[in-house]
Amino acid sequence: MALLEVIGLSKLFNGVPALQEVDLKILPGEIHGLVGANGSGKSTLIKILAGFHKSDGGRILVSGEEHQLPLGPRGLRAHGVAFVHQDLGLVPASTVLEHMALDSYGAARGLRRISWRDERRRVEELLTRFEVSVDPAAMIDTLSPVQRAMVAVVRAVGDQEESAGRGGSLLVLDEPTVFLPRDEVDLLFALLRRLKNQGSSVVLVSHDLDEVLAVTDRVTVLRDGRLVGTRAVPGQTRQDIVKMILGAPDEHVPHGQPTVRTDLPPLMAARGLSGERVKNLSIELRAGEVVGVTGLAGSGFEELPELLFGARQRRAGTITVDGHDVARPAPLDMLMKRIVLVPSDRKAEGAAQDLTVNENLALPFFTNHAGGWFIRWGMLRDQARAICRRFNVVPLNVDLTFSSLSGGNQQKALLGKWFETDPLVMLLNEPTQGVDIGARREIFRLIRAAVTDGMAALCATSDYEQLVEMADRVLILEDGQVRHELHGAEITKDSLAAFIYSGAAA
Amino acid sequence: MTTSDNTPPTATTPGPKRPHFLREPERFALIGVWIILIIFFVVKVPDTFPTTANLSNMLGSQAVLLILALGLIIPLRAGDYDLSVASVLTLSAVIVAALNVTHGWPVWQASVMAVLAGALVGALNGFIVAKFDINPFIVTLGIGTVVVGLSSIIADSRTVSGVDPALSDVMLSKPFLNIPVDFYYAVILCGIVWYLFQRTAFGQRLLFIGQNRDVARLNGVAVAKLRWVGLICSSTIAAFAGVVYVGTTRSADPGSGAGFLLPAFAAAFLGSTTLQIGRFNPWGTLIAVYFLVTGITGLQLMGAQQYVQNLFYGGALVIAVVLSQTVRTRSARKRLANRDQAAVSPTNDLANSEEPAERSSES
Repeated sequence: MALLEVIGLSKLFNGVPALQEVDLKILPGEIHGLVGANGSGKSTLIKILAGFHKSDGGRILVSGEEHQLPLGPRGLRAHGVAFVHQDLGLVPASTVLEHMALDSYGAARGLRRISWRDERRRVEELLTRFEVSVDPAAMIDTLSPVQRAMVAVVRAVGDQEESAGRGGSLLVLDEPTVFLPRDEVDLLFALLRRLKNQGSSVVLVSHDLDEVLAVTDRVTVLRDGRLVGTRAVPGQTRQDIVKMILGAPDEHVPHGQPTVRTDLPPLMAARGLSGERVKNLSIELRAGEVVGVTGLAGSGFEELPELLFGARQRRAGTITVDGHDVARPAPLDMLMKRIVLVPSDRKAEGAAQDLTVNENLALPFFTNHAGGWFIRWGMLRDQARAICRRFNVVPLNVDLTFSSLSGGNQQKALLGKWFETDPLVMLLNEPTQGVDIGARREIFRLIRAAVTDGMAALCATSDYEQLVEMADRVLILEDGQVRHELHGAEITKDSLAAFIYSGAAA
Repeated sequence: MTTSDNTPPTATTPGPKRPHFLREPERFALIGVWIILIIFFVVKVPDTFPTTANLSNMLGSQAVLLILALGLIIPLRAGDYDLSVASVLTLSAVIVAALNVTHGWPVWQASVMAVLAGALVGALNGFIVAKFDINPFIVTLGIGTVVVGLSSIIADSRTVSGVDPALSDVMLSKPFLNIPVDFYYAVILCGIVWYLFQRTAFGQRLLFIGQNRDVARLNGVAVAKLRWVGLICSSTIAAFAGVVYVGTTRSADPGSGAGFLLPAFAAAFLGSTTLQIGRFNPWGTLIAVYFLVTGITGLQLMGAQQYVQNLFYGGALVIAVVLSQTVRTRSARKRLANRDQAAVSPTNDLANSEEPAERSSES
């Protein structure tokens, strides 16, 4: 009997299917990989199991017992399935012991006094059983990343045993290795194998196929919200799985004659740039080109736009704009030099959602003609309307709050705002996240048009299709450094996937 | 005052042109309740409430509170609580009184010194907030307490009275249209703050800082510097309120300002539930102050005790915060509904489009 059985699970977001009739079966005592590209539905699936989303159809059975859908806010947690999410859910300034005790003095014990001696014994026993050598009294922030991950795993298992008893448990790990140094991942995997040997099952959601092949027994692949298949891992090669993830082989989509001006010095360049994840990276952005940067989550590509913009503190390196060194890169400074950033998270960083479209579009223009001690709102409104009209923002009403625009229209309005500043370089971070297909095409077209006119664009994304459609060259990052560079016709989904998932192999 | 074509429009529900109060009744709800309250008291205490003397008293007596609240909404616009304003008011009042009475300074010089001292406190608040990135709530609470301590030292823990009547003359004694002069100062300040908020880059940038600090930063707003300036503004205006206070009472003691803090916050928050919903705004603050005063004065005229003030101010603060929260969630829901509707039929009058709108394929 399967430990967890998901049958025909479906989920719609605003009428658009995110999951269609997906089946998943987890056997007792196995490590099961769940893989798929961005938007394949794997995180939606996990979020339904964890109770974040409500499903729109299907059945879920745990140890043969059917659970009524939609699941409550605690999801399958209420039924003995433990979850560890990417952020691990640990508080830096608390001890390991406090974290582990937290779960057992939850609702059940109410106001009863905590016996710290008993708790300590219980936690020590748990850590020893899984051979995790961590001092229960240690603060979380003194632990190494992998130790933290292991603590989170042991904590989840302990929590579950508390409610369901030992053995036969199920643990779901959502991208646990993203922020771990490569050489330490094995420690975590060893822990997962020990869990398995003690009779538990593990679902491992991961982007990293090498990891999946190394540790899992079976793997389920999703694509575009549908189940592609479940395979036993022995006998599968990486290529087999990449093929399942991507579906039909694809081709490079040409986007017109290259317009890059190699005869001119680069508009923006960085040498030896280091940040939180980016290490000693050098890059040049020239007029007339779209440079894509990508890699696995945690490889550093997602940090690059903000690092170049000065919105994140760099650790080392020099940034030059138009041939001049920028002494202290900071957003204000970069904007003055006509470098703009379109951040990935529109809600948190792109626009003030409660203010009007007009106000949001006016913000960068207070420094010049219309700003200062007398804002000419009439002029700024005309400008905002013109931007919205030019970029097909619907509805065309600049007095609406920004949040009343859909994701695609928000992004078009923001791009329009920045184009209006006549930028030299546009740094884009996941520019089409949460944007519908139609608006996406338009956004590509707009960026391409500006680049043809002599702008440079940097686009950090994990969306291969986007890179295929818009990039002139793509830098693939690994461990914070550029590992591969693809040009023109070399850029296909297959080649990107091959280089990203392989590390060195291909 | 509200949305003329040349002021930044607040979040409005688009639709056919109708008078503001019909299109968005909640924006004018406070004024409505205020009018009902006035009618109630006119009927209940017809002998004392609707008199010139009472009107003059209500408008004049709360000018200090209004000035203080107007200063307070500047950092509040950027999301920063300044809990030291009432203490700065005390400090300023005590400085004027002590310099003038004890040390024999001319009252003008004493007043200038007091305002400078206020600016200095604001600069210190802002410095700590900006340099060490500490929540101003806790910084201003601490500095405010230190300032009260300083005020006690300056006043030698006594009431200093006998301030030069020249100050009272400009603040109080020469009423225009039967209303004390300080009321007009407060209204002028109201206009200045309004201009600052609506028509200057400073005001718009504060607004973005308050709404979303990251957005402001990524759009090149010098967040730390402007928050600093905001705190200097509130302290300086609080010190000015202190000078006005001394003008009206001709004396000061280390407890002068204590009673002003909560009413100022109550007025600021209540003000943010009217005219421009969800935003701290000067005219809303003015309405809120006089709404509160009307209630308290009326109840006192009906025979209520002094403690009714506490009930009224405290209650108003809590109700105002709850109101602004519910109005915000309500309008968010409304917006979502609009958005769905707009996506379904982009050419209706909701979309207000001038060109055939391209249909968004996203819902």
